Amino acid sequence: MKPGTAPGPLITAEETSHPKPRLAGFDVLIIAGAFLLLAAIFSTHRVTDFMIFCIFAMSFDLIYGYMGRLSFGHLLFLGTGAYGSGLFLKYFYGNPLLAMLVGIAAAALLGMLIGAIVVRATGACFALMNLAFNYIGFFLVLSPLRGITNGEDGFGIHALSVGFFNPASKISMFLFVLLCLLLVFYLLKRLTSSPYGIMIRSIKEDETRVKFLGYNTYFYKWLTFVIAGSMAGLAGTLTALNYKYVNPNVMDVHGNVGVVFACLIGGAGRLYGSIVGGVVYMLISNFLPIYIHRWEMFLGISLLIIVFKFRKGIWGYIQEMEEVRKRQKVVPEIAGKGVAQR
Amino acid sequence: MTLTILYGFTIGAILYFISIGLSLTFGTMRVINFAHTLTYCIGVYMLITFISLFKGNFLPSAILAILVVIPISYLIERFIIRRLYGESLDYTFIATFAITLIGVDSIKWIWGVNPLPLSDPIGTQLNLWDFTFPVYRVMIVAIAIVLFFALELFFKKTIVGKIVVAALEDKDGVRCLGVKVERHFLIVFILGSALAGLGGVLYAPISSVHPYMGLGILLLCFAVVIVGGMGNLRGTFVSAFSLGMVMAITARYWSQGAEVMVFIVMAVVLMFRPIDI
Repeated sequence: MKPGTAPGPLITAEETSHPKPRLAGFDVLIIAGAFLLLAAIFSTHRVTDFMIFCIFAMSFDLIYGYMGRLSFGHLLFLGTGAYGSGLFLKYFYGNPLLAMLVGIAAAALLGMLIGAIVVRATGACFALMNLAFNYIGFFLVLSPLRGITNGEDGFGIHALSVGFFNPASKISMFLFVLLCLLLVFYLLKRLTSSPYGIMIRSIKEDETRVKFLGYNTYFYKWLTFVIAGSMAGLAGTLTALNYKYVNPNVMDVHGNVGVVFACLIGGAGRLYGSIVGGVVYMLISNFLPIYIHRWEMFLGISLLIIVFKFRKGIWGYIQEMEEVRKRQKVVPEIAGKGVAQR
Repeated sequence: MTLTILYGFTIGAILYFISIGLSLTFGTMRVINFAHTLTYCIGVYMLITFISLFKGNFLPSAILAILVVIPISYLIERFIIRRLYGESLDYTFIATFAITLIGVDSIKWIWGVNPLPLSDPIGTQLNLWDFTFPVYRVMIVAIAIVLFFALELFFKKTIVGKIVVAALEDKDGVRCLGVKVERHFLIVFILGSALAGLGGVLYAPISSVHPYMGLGILLLCFAVVIVGGMGNLRGTFVSAFSLGMVMAITARYWSQGAEVMVFIVMAVVLMFRPIDI
């Protein structure tokens, strides 16, 4: 790995020789249990919000943690999803599942268009270009499309219930979002441990070498961008259904720092990390402003601390502890064997 | 139409002041300095404070405001950016963004969230043939042109400027000659920040002043730098004025779409040109 690149899981020799997708059933159970526990502690409505943010954080992590491209405009896709599904519900038909499909398709389409331009850049240029596009999107829904989107006041939506899924009921919404979260987690787990996942992690470590091996890196970067964009779109549609209300704040440019923070504090390049980071960020942003008035300053200072001292994040730290523990366990065993042979 | 063209030149001049710093810091240090918005904002707020102290006297307050920006930018370079040399660009970006968050919050703390009024310091109109020009805008354009030639001289004739230009080409080569490159980077950084402060001070009277004003401008300047080429000073000059003109002409026909048009131009340029970062 180049000295400057962000931390993340190293590609092991075992992985490259036998790229086998691991079954994620155990992980799925753990995550579902953890969120049910959270829901028991806080209200279900709040935890639904947490889970939507976790989906968004995971989609961001695919670009930042796995592909090593920092996007500062990922909220654009969340906003597109929210507006896509919201406008569909408002003007066409009240079926929430159909609206979700429309929202995700809109985000994916936008990802295809913007991705074609953006993925050629790297580093801060990539970040700023995404930010610029996010700014355009925010501005578009705010004023030129005021006639449809109702400007900064936003609009309320009403969704019908389909089968078991009733967006008006909090419990049903909670279970549905949990299902979506598990689905996204499972998909991303499969994707990132597949040969494709190894490819995008290789692009993060050294793109030139991957190019020399004959792969079309542009296509893979574009594909990743589109996948991440559509998953963020999914988070957006869920946001719209959860609040039953859409306004331009869902894609406010300044909100992007939240997901970057979540990803960094949880540990970039690890799916668990982004879930942990998402929950931690939501807990902080929900409860801390009650006690601390200067909230943005707190966020800035903690970002600086993370960048200078705590790059691996919470999950990376836990993994490191685990490895140290394992090593300590192994050493006495070897020593004991040595004595026995003698 | 004449007024539109003048407006385009004014915007171009302001964009030029602010983009130089971005372009230089990227070209030499390989750092995208998001904190540039902060120095810009601080310049403006300092101007407001000093104007109330000096009872409306614009010139000394403007000069003092720019002088205040210098130590602040020194602190940012010394304690944040210098620690991140050679690191991934993402980290410097996040770190400078964090500084901006802290700075904007302090501005909100000290001066409040509400927009502050600031009037045109030179109210007189210049009558020329059949047109009336606001003198202030003509003055901004004049300052920009003078500054362009001054910078050309600085980078061609003085030893510091020559070292910086050489470092833009090959940083390690210059370091091998025994020149302390970091010290010159510091000078460049402070120069860029002071120019951002100057841009803010000059632009504030003809725009609105609020804590988040830096972000929109920074994105525009970033578009300028991308179109002009990172670290290319003449390119920055040309692209700043052409994008300023694009903004002015768009604003004449579709007042809300001015900024969006700049980004569209940027996207079109990027489609036909490789990104050299």
